[in-house]
Amino acid sequence: MIRKIASVSCFALGLLLFVVGASAHHGGAAYDGSQTITVTGEVTKFEFINPHVLIYIAVTDESGKVVEWSGELTTPIRLARMDSGGAEKWSKDILQPGDEITLSGNPARSGAPSLRLRKVIDSHGVALIGGTN
Amino acid sequence: MLQRETMLIGALVTALMLSSSLFAQTDEHGDDLSGVWTNFAIEASRPFQNSALRGDPPPMTAWAQERYAQAKPTFGSKSVAVVETNDPVYDCFRPGTPRIYLHPFPMEIIQTPGRVLMLFEYDHTVRQIYTDGREHRTDLAPMWMGDATGHWEGETLVVETVNFNDKTWIDREGVPHSDQLRVLERIRLDEDDNLLIDITIEDPVAFTESWTGQRRYRRVDWNIEEFACMDNVVFAEYEQEILNYDPNATQ
Repeated sequence: MIRKIASVSCFALGLLLFVVGASAHHGGAAYDGSQTITVTGEVTKFEFINPHVLIYIAVTDESGKVVEWSGELTTPIRLARMDSGGAEKWSKDILQPGDEITLSGNPARSGAPSLRLRKVIDSHGVALIGGTN
Repeated sequence: MLQRETMLIGALVTALMLSSSLFAQTDEHGDDLSGVWTNFAIEASRPFQNSALRGDPPPMTAWAQERYAQAKPTFGSKSVAVVETNDPVYDCFRPGTPRIYLHPFPMEIIQTPGRVLMLFEYDHTVRQIYTDGREHRTDLAPMWMGDATGHWEGETLVVETVNFNDKTWIDREGVPHSDQLRVLERIRLDEDDNLLIDITIEDPVAFTESWTGQRRYRRVDWNIEEFACMDNVVFAEYEQEILNYDPNATQ
């Protein structure tokens, strides 16, 4: 089941989150850093590419409409070098189309269904980035 | 006859070893800085380490203030979205020196006789610091990364870089410099084997006085991988879509 669990909350900036969010090639002016939105859906596309890794998921809103959300991470090599704490390490194969995952991040100021990602939780409930819950 | 040839070869080998030893002495230095290094910001510089050498704008002349006002960086207090920036790096020009240190990618130092190489992961930018006693070249046009020469003072590599063009920014926040920029660096290892780079910026056209910054790096067992600037250009299409999003047009 694909569903949307959107919530807006204050954003607590932890050290790990800072590392994750530190953009390699630009600042975050296109995103609202004061808000965090969480969406859940099935992976439609996963691009492990420079300069920023992109994750696309299909999210069904309250009215039943499916919207494709995108999430932007740092560079793939920064993710690949990250200490995974024993979890699966980031690679081009870590996400597959059809995986149900949860993305949390700062929303685009324009209202586009796009996030500067702060947290990614995989289909097993494991936080691939951004914490343990 | 054979004995005589053997002796001759022996003498030649000895001479080569001696000349090699003498050559090494002309490039005398202390610490071996070779290795792959990643940014390890000093506590006080963490709030701005990703985009500037200091926490407040440096003391700019009217010439520099005018250019700073026109700059549209993607970092700092006047940051704009990528699609609105006029940062030369987004046209894939070289970042310049010392700005290259602010891009959050590792760099490898390769120390050879007469030359220290800095190989940056960011767009595979290379700095060549000549330590063979040569003077700066005066026959070449100004450069993006400048012309760097260095010498050793004890354990410290002292580098002077000049002959810049005026097209790059000092940092990622839009602070300009002129072609009179002179960058002085003192590069050394600290007691914990971290790499410290003390940077002094001199530019009488752009700044009312010289000013300083410091970078710190830690050793890592990484390889220098690929990061091509042109990928940023391609990515701009994605960013443009986000910026131009019209919720009313989407059904």
